[in-house]
Amino acid sequence: MEFETGRSPAIQITPRQRWSLAFSYILICFGLALGVNLRDGALRQASVYNNVEAGIRASYPARWLLEEAGADFVFRVRDMSFRGFNTRIEVSALPAGADSSARNLLDQLSLRRAQVLIDYTILGYEDYRLPDETDAISMAYAFVSRDASPFLESVSSLVNCLDILTIRRGQALVLSFCADASIYARELDTFTWFIENLEF
Amino acid sequence: MAEFLADAAADTGRPPAAFFPVWRRMSLQLALLTALGSLIVVAFTLFELPLDSRLERFAALGLTLVPLLLWAGISVYPEFQFYRPRRRLVGVAVVSALTASALGLPLIEDFFRVQEWLPLESVSQRILGYSLTVGVLDTGLKFLVLRYLIYPQALRVRSDAIAYAFAAALGYSFYLSLALVARQQPTLGFAALVVLGNLGVQLFSALFIALGIIESYFSDAFPLVLPLNLVAATAGSGLITALSPGLLSGPLSTAGSGDRPLFALGIVVATFAVTLGMVYFLYSNSERREREAYLGSGAADGI
Repeated sequence: MEFETGRSPAIQITPRQRWSLAFSYILICFGLALGVNLRDGALRQASVYNNVEAGIRASYPARWLLEEAGADFVFRVRDMSFRGFNTRIEVSALPAGADSSARNLLDQLSLRRAQVLIDYTILGYEDYRLPDETDAISMAYAFVSRDASPFLESVSSLVNCLDILTIRRGQALVLSFCADASIYARELDTFTWFIENLEF
Repeated sequence: MAEFLADAAADTGRPPAAFFPVWRRMSLQLALLTALGSLIVVAFTLFELPLDSRLERFAALGLTLVPLLLWAGISVYPEFQFYRPRRRLVGVAVVSALTASALGLPLIEDFFRVQEWLPLESVSQRILGYSLTVGVLDTGLKFLVLRYLIYPQALRVRSDAIAYAFAAALGYSFYLSLALVARQQPTLGFAALVVLGNLGVQLFSALFIALGIIESYFSDAFPLVLPLNLVAATAGSGLITALSPGLLSGPLSTAGSGDRPLFALGIVVATFAVTLGMVYFLYSNSERREREAYLGSGAADGI
């Protein structure tokens, strides 16, 4: 049996109820702010990579997988939590002669990549200025990523990439960033943050 | 008010909706849902009954509608046979589903991006993280829906808040289940667990919001009572969300790791039982206290 309180729907809410609603809104906003803070802390948690031999010191997202001394790179980090193509940042060093230009080096990289990447397409070149005011050149390109195993029967995905190349002390440093096209714009912030914290 | 309702009901020949047995109907729906879910889990996960993959996909999508259909048949339709029914029930469910679609899921996936960082954290961090992201967001959105659709204009008796909170939980969990089933295309057994699990989480938070609203509106409680109920709703839904995937997965061994659907089903049933038991206890206690206070104030016909 229900107990009727004698309240009419026409009755306005009391000051106590108004306060409780105000406190509730404040609590929700405060909780969301704490959640955002927690998210930022987790997503921006960084680990430090230090390579004395190559003279590189970099901060990278702590959740990403670090791989060192590959055939073509000094080190690279990959976000293994993303399903599909794992977002990656790769740092490689190329020898640069006195008359080598940045554009020539990028063309060499393109020739090599065109042989191994599916539907490799250069999207454009632009001048780029690093945080320490050094001049560099950037090259945007795209390719199609397909799972290595045909038994997985997965759909191919479009990958967007950005290379930034700068020449210093007879060495060209190439910073490569690649991400699935659907999340490229969002992940580019991570790459910008990576460049801002890079020392070489 | 009670006399007015009784007189009006006598005129119309129909009992007032205020006496509609909300708790009994809600328990019946959850019992039926659990029975159906158990049957599907046992048949398609344990006995692995063969089913055409296309048919299984449609059946899984259809399964997300079952809680709403049961609710429409057991609660909404009979409710409208009563005098002065709760007219905003369907509206609350629809607005809750739309809120989950427009704000809830997009914010969880694209703003909080919980799938990228929370599953990798420790258990305590996961509980805290889910409470402060998914829990606060889900609870906050459902609270706002109830606040602006029913509070205070549609509240006549305490069970109104419970009925509307149940509608909000059903609407909100419907969209979450639909999105998950449509994207991941799980087996029918797993889809049943998804539907029950989502409803369990949303029901917990919605009923605690309802308790807060009841205390605030009908008892004119201390201003912090409603926010504290929201905290309980948030913490509970965060706890269930954080722990349920781990309970569903079997332990890792050299032979690999398998799912434990029966165990997950047990957890879901326990969630329903504990939620209903706890909220009903608090609800009855609050109602009894108010009845005693009302009688103590000199009103002889308080009931």
